[in-house]
Amino acid sequence: MKLAFITSPKVRPFVPLLAVLLFGCVLNAHGAFFEWQTHRAVLREIAVGGILACGMTVVIVSGGIDLAVGSVLALSAVSFAWLTLLHGWAGFFALPVVLLVGAGAGALSGALVAWPRMQPFIVTLAMMVFARGLAKELSGGQKISTYVQEPDGTFRTVPLPAVFEALDGRVLGGNVSVVTLVFLASALVTWVILERLRVGRYLFAVGGNFEAARLSGVPVRLTLVFAYVLSGIFAALAGVCQAAQETHGDPETGMGYELDAIAMVVLGGTSLMGGRGGVALTVIGALTLGYLEKVLSLNAYSTELRLMLTGVILVLAVLFQRRFGRETA
Amino acid sequence: MSGASAAPRLELVQVSKTFAGTRALDTVSFDVLPGEVHVVAGENGAGKSTLIRVIAGAVTDYAGELRLDGRRVRFASPADASAHGVATIHQELSLVPSLSIADNFELRRAAPAFERRVRGAARERAARALERLELRFDPATPVEALSVAERQSVEIARALAGDVRVLVMDEPTSALFEPDVERLLSLVERLKQRGIGIVYISHRLDEIFRIADRISVLRDGRRVFTRPAREVTRDELVDAMVGGRAPTAKSERERVFPGLRLGVRGLASEPSVPAPFHALDFELGAGERVGVAGVEGSGASTLLRALFGDVPWASGAVTLEGTPYAPKSPRAAFERGVALLASDRRASVFAELSVLANATLSSLGSLSRAGVVNRRAERAAVARETSRVRLKAPSLDADAGALSGGNQQKVALLRCLLCGPRLLLLDDPTRGIDVGARADVHELLRELAATGTSILFRSTDLAELFALADRVLVLARGRHVATLARAELDEARLLAAMMGGAA
Repeated sequence: MKLAFITSPKVRPFVPLLAVLLFGCVLNAHGAFFEWQTHRAVLREIAVGGILACGMTVVIVSGGIDLAVGSVLALSAVSFAWLTLLHGWAGFFALPVVLLVGAGAGALSGALVAWPRMQPFIVTLAMMVFARGLAKELSGGQKISTYVQEPDGTFRTVPLPAVFEALDGRVLGGNVSVVTLVFLASALVTWVILERLRVGRYLFAVGGNFEAARLSGVPVRLTLVFAYVLSGIFAALAGVCQAAQETHGDPETGMGYELDAIAMVVLGGTSLMGGRGGVALTVIGALTLGYLEKVLSLNAYSTELRLMLTGVILVLAVLFQRRFGRETA
Repeated sequence: MSGASAAPRLELVQVSKTFAGTRALDTVSFDVLPGEVHVVAGENGAGKSTLIRVIAGAVTDYAGELRLDGRRVRFASPADASAHGVATIHQELSLVPSLSIADNFELRRAAPAFERRVRGAARERAARALERLELRFDPATPVEALSVAERQSVEIARALAGDVRVLVMDEPTSALFEPDVERLLSLVERLKQRGIGIVYISHRLDEIFRIADRISVLRDGRRVFTRPAREVTRDELVDAMVGGRAPTAKSERERVFPGLRLGVRGLASEPSVPAPFHALDFELGAGERVGVAGVEGSGASTLLRALFGDVPWASGAVTLEGTPYAPKSPRAAFERGVALLASDRRASVFAELSVLANATLSSLGSLSRAGVVNRRAERAAVARETSRVRLKAPSLDADAGALSGGNQQKVALLRCLLCGPRLLLLDDPTRGIDVGARADVHELLRELAATGTSILFRSTDLAELFALADRVLVLARGRHVATLARAELDEARLLAAMMGGAA
């Protein structure tokens, strides 16, 4: 086959992305696709979903799934706004507390997966609903914004803390969004964990063959808890970024983000069966989805059509990965 | 039963079958009469399972002829065989656990695909079939609520629900314990009275003599003899299976083991685990290689897992290098320098992981600092050992799943070696791997023992016990029935102890 190189394991994950980019070059919307601000926008738009996808990669490699990330994101966005806007905490103190909230949610999910060996799907589905409820409880069902109601019923406006503006800003001469850098840093941390740390080996082992991992002396349960804690922390970080971009903490935010994150992971070629994959693949998957969305919107396709096309392309990309993944594995 | 009076139900005439160059069956003739139990005996690999597969329609390209009630037949598939009234009960049960007994019966019934499902009628049919065997189960009971023995009875009832002329039973008691065995054997008696011809495979001598009308022995694909059971003695049977071979233990110098590595006193597993064992006492010297022999369900495998912290103990005290040892998990066992190689490669090899990651998984603690894997040290450690196990892999980064069975086993063994175990537990270490790889593994184990690692291994292959063991502990039904030193090892004695429960 003349196109054999396309299916080689090194090139394979890039093929859907390259196809989308090629598609963008052809349908370039009168040159809009060739402007840096288009690309800057894509990189900003995928950041929050991409941060979630980093944690999701770790969980999926361990053989699980984390459906709670969208809700934990909302809980964290609300918590962050609650601490900084309502209670005037400095971002410097609020951030670690919010990350701890995410870690706690993950630890709870992880413990339920690890000890009673409950299905990750069920556990995180429950956490998804619970965290959403908690976010609404904490915010009283309202967005927490700079427009704060006092106990006596009057309203006052608090200044937007610096941390919001910093996270929503751009650096390098306005060429790169800060959230993009947060995403890349998350991906790097995840890469180090999966590829360089001992716990990374354990994650692949547990996801690849739980029983064999147990018999090899791997601390299987702690490894599972670790995966969900990490996913919770990344969800919290994504929540802080989301709050900064929206300039408020919205308990309704992040609905369905878990599915975007899963799509990014799967599109990269990480196996939902666990034990195989990596975060570099997820970054490629995130770019693929981001660019697909951008190309379609630049060309003024309707939202309806965009959703349908995204579904179709997701299936085609995964079929492609599987079709050729088997032979070379 | 006098063979002359009745025409055979089923007859095999000069049947031969070759698999990849080996003759699994060599011009074997065999028949079973109505109302007769015909036992087929032989060692592993003697051709018993091929014989069954021919009868059951699972092997279709054999030479020779099959006759059912005098008519020449050639089954196209297992379904075809059962449509002709030849039912087979395999070692692995084929019931769907989540479905009720009645629904399981329906799965096997030849019925139109879109027939309207009438629950009452299905239960009625199942109830009738159960009744015929005097089994008192409610057909609405889900199969998962039954014990293994009860499932076996249900499976037999299902096989007999249609019009059955020949019933093949492949080691039906291997997963059962004493009272259940008794119940099964009396069930077989009742089937005889219905004029069904029964082909019965078993490894247990007691059972064979209890139930057989005639016995055929297979060895290396050939029939050694077919004789009425009452004219055969135990010794003759064992001799025929073994083929009068001289003991195959190599005359290695009797070795001495100065240090005590493992002392086991009154160790018993929880009685509720599958294949439990009771009150075992034994010792293992430094560098000693001890084999544990026993048929499936004897508790030999359970013993290895118990010493690895994977099966709970009911009682007993174990010392490892003089200090008490009672691991609560495999991880705790590893911390004391005890490693286990599982019998099933699905439980020992990570197919998606590289050879390197497979090999070092259990020793990452010493190969990493502050949680960061020292990749150079890791590669060096594995490279050092791969030549020792003669591993053939395209590279250390290749997926372990892409290797041959023998090399996968070497990778799993490598993982045990890299943690420098004081005691190595091996559960059937060379099952299903080729001769070359097996020789490599044996060589390696001898080397390891020579450098002081103690080895406790189970094997389903007697030749392996002879090749490796300084001493063999024989377990039968969870009890320690014999200990054979290397000098006393001979196949007949070992087989008799394994099957009969007495040396």
